[in-house]
Amino acid sequence: MGRIFYTALGLLAAPFLGGLLVGLDRILTARLQSRIGPPLFQPFYDLGKLWGKSRTLVNPWQAFGVHGYLAAASIALALFGLQSDLLLILFVQAVGTLFLVIGALASGSPYSQIGAHRELLQVLAYEPLLLLVPAGIYLETHSFRIVDLYQGGQPLLFRLPLLFLVLPLVLTIKLRKSPFDFSASHQTHQELVRGILTDYSGPYLCLIEVAHYFEMVLILGICSLFWTPGWAGQILLPAAAFLVTILIDNSSARLNWRWLWGAAWGIGLPLCLLNMIWIVWGY
Amino acid sequence: MLGLRELIILLVLFPFLAGGLLSFFPNRKIHTFGVMASGTLLGLGAFLLIPRVPFSFSPDLPGPLVPAALVEAADAFLLLLFLYYGFKHRRPLIQLLSGTQLLLLLFIPFYWPAPASGHPVFFGDRLSLLLVLIISLIGPLIVWQALPYLENHERHLQLKATRRHRFFPVLLLFLGAMNGLVLSNDLRVFYFFFEVTTLCSFWLIGHDRTAESVNKALRALWMNSLAGLILLLALAACLQNYETLHLQEIIRGSSAGAWGLLPLALLCLSGLIKSAQFPFQNWLLGAMVAPTPVSALLHSSTMVKIGVYLVLRLTPALQGTLLSLGLAVFGAFSFLAAAALAVGQSNGKKVLAYSTISNLGLMFALAGLNTPEALSAALLLVLFHALTKALLFLGVGVIEQRLDSRDIEDMRGLYARTPLTALIMVLGILMMIMPPFGLVLGKWMALEAATRNLPVVLLLAAGSALTVMYWARWAGTLLSQPFSGPFSPEKQPFLTWTALTALGLGGLFLGVSAPWLYSWLLTGAIVPEIQLPYTQRGGGLYNSYGAFAVLPLSLVALLGLGASIFFMRWARKGNLVSPYLGGLETENPGIFRGPLNRPRQAGAKNYYLSTLFNERRFVFWFNLTAVGLWLLILAGGW
Repeated sequence: MGRIFYTALGLLAAPFLGGLLVGLDRILTARLQSRIGPPLFQPFYDLGKLWGKSRTLVNPWQAFGVHGYLAAASIALALFGLQSDLLLILFVQAVGTLFLVIGALASGSPYSQIGAHRELLQVLAYEPLLLLVPAGIYLETHSFRIVDLYQGGQPLLFRLPLLFLVLPLVLTIKLRKSPFDFSASHQTHQELVRGILTDYSGPYLCLIEVAHYFEMVLILGICSLFWTPGWAGQILLPAAAFLVTILIDNSSARLNWRWLWGAAWGIGLPLCLLNMIWIVWGY
Repeated sequence: MLGLRELIILLVLFPFLAGGLLSFFPNRKIHTFGVMASGTLLGLGAFLLIPRVPFSFSPDLPGPLVPAALVEAADAFLLLLFLYYGFKHRRPLIQLLSGTQLLLLLFIPFYWPAPASGHPVFFGDRLSLLLVLIISLIGPLIVWQALPYLENHERHLQLKATRRHRFFPVLLLFLGAMNGLVLSNDLRVFYFFFEVTTLCSFWLIGHDRTAESVNKALRALWMNSLAGLILLLALAACLQNYETLHLQEIIRGSSAGAWGLLPLALLCLSGLIKSAQFPFQNWLLGAMVAPTPVSALLHSSTMVKIGVYLVLRLTPALQGTLLSLGLAVFGAFSFLAAAALAVGQSNGKKVLAYSTISNLGLMFALAGLNTPEALSAALLLVLFHALTKALLFLGVGVIEQRLDSRDIEDMRGLYARTPLTALIMVLGILMMIMPPFGLVLGKWMALEAATRNLPVVLLLAAGSALTVMYWARWAGTLLSQPFSGPFSPEKQPFLTWTALTALGLGGLFLGVSAPWLYSWLLTGAIVPEIQLPYTQRGGGLYNSYGAFAVLPLSLVALLGLGASIFFMRWARKGNLVSPYLGGLETENPGIFRGPLNRPRQAGAKNYYLSTLFNERRFVFWFNLTAVGLWLLILAGGW
């Protein structure tokens, strides 16, 4: 019963945590670019403003996509809170992106259409890596269930260091950070305007942001699994991954999908594989 | 109550008789009645078979009719027929393959005298039962839907005289042969039904008698004849090695013998061809020239499931062998390769075909992994793939007749034109990739079962990502603009709706009840004493390392879907504007002010990444890899 209570609490807290992280990101990014940047709570002001706007859409199926995305992202996070099966959580999380893509394809705008396809390419790039993370964890702990990770033993990081290295890469793609921000860049002055998000506005965009926060918290939560049990590491590891992502974002220009794919499959997959080979035959 | 003997007659022999009878009466009403009645009887028969398994059964034929000789004569007749087609169409390859088989058929009883009989000709356990249920419940739905489909089809082709009496009888024959195949224990009988399915698919693919369809039918014939030849060689090897042709005995008593597992390897390879695995995928890809119900039948409940059935049947004998490992790697490779080729396709039927090959690959991989977890996943995939693929193919058939195209690009905004069909297609696609539906439950089990095998898990992870890509793209395209306003379902024949709703609701219902279904199905499938790897608790499936709460998740997912649809309907009342076109929108949605202020239509097509995922570029290498893996499988048998 306690776990359900904490999960509900976590679900409520996740948007706040996500918003704070994004606020922090914006300040850090601004400082790196010699600007002062917005206040820490700016993302919440943005959300409030979006929520107050009128409901405007191109095609009602967009609304279907948005709510499906939000539902899947929150269910995935809830399952994480319930310490369920990690692979199942990733499957549910993938469905969220599927709905987002369906919504974006519902609009006839070429910006939105191309953005949706690029999002699918991003999924193609990171999905295998993300699926191999629970596989690697299983090889080490003989379980896919998060609850079993808290049974003690040494932190996973020592046994799965290469697998952990893959996570900042996934995070960069998933958060649409440079150099892999090509389905929807945070800077709107480029060829695709807002890409997959182009034809979303007002409350719908607000919901997409919230769902995005859920996903962000989920991936950072997966980062934290590499240091269980133990509080310091569980906070430090995701923080480090997040920081690396921001640094990469600010020090690189966007690349095309071949680079994205090459980086993810060419670097990420070998890293996963090496680590898994080490686990299987290393002893 | 019907006895076992009557039931087998109903499931196997009756479709042959009904088909034979119907072929003399091209009349429409007689056909409608005949097809409806036989379909119902088949479904009933399958239900009545449920409490009968497991069983072994030998028919006692009257006096002078010796079963072996009877089967032999029927085999020879079929092979002569193939030989005839080979000469008629001047295909030396078919002549060679069927001629060789004919010689072997005459030679085998001479060189290896038939072992003493007394073994059951038919055998049924839950695996056979699952297949019988799929064949006899999904099959008739497809055949019923074919009634209105073929009417349309013939009107479209402007035929002078109907050819339906060359179509429906063959469909029924096909179902009967499939039932016979999955129930037979005597490999000679198995071989007979195997050849009948080859004949049926040849007839059905070539049904339209255009140059193209005849060509594709002949391709299917030579590839499946090769499968027949390999099967016959396997028979000879079985006689040499185990001195028996009884499947159950072969499985129990294998591993001994001078030729090792060679007979089993040959059986697996003949199954791989039937299931259109690389490098023999072309016969299935070519089969889409036939009327769409044929594809639906070939891809879901018949033909391609033969290989999976056969390999699953053999798994107890393959435990821990190199052959099994080879199958696992081959299947996983096929899963990835076919998914990659599907990404590059804009032809809807071809996407479905590659997705079938890909999913079958996954099933072979699971059979090769050969742990109780993997076999559980395989059984679930067999069932849910049949349901979902039948739904998707029938949907594409309806769309194709409406649009005169099977190109995904032409399905853009299909929701505005045929809302219900579009929604059913989207449902089918969601059932393919969305948890907690059955196929994803199977895929989840598959990935967890495969994790110990690094090459397999790597291939499966990459393949899964590609799979999501081609399905999501299609679903989005169907719901794309324009939007039609209030939902008003289009008119379709009653039987079409019956088939589509039955498959859709059946998939949903069985998906939710998968945990119970799973326990029931796996108890006494493949090996009688199999340990259930997952336990069902509160509508979820659990084992020592994984958890999938199917029922709770289904309820939450249905709630989420329902809410999304509610908000979609609510959004209709909001402010609907035209899409963003870089600030150059005009009052007509989708039209922008182009150069010289001329109105231009805005548009974007889907990414098919055809420079990368190009058939022409990859097929050769995929086939080459597949040949290598085939040799590995063969070597594993030595």
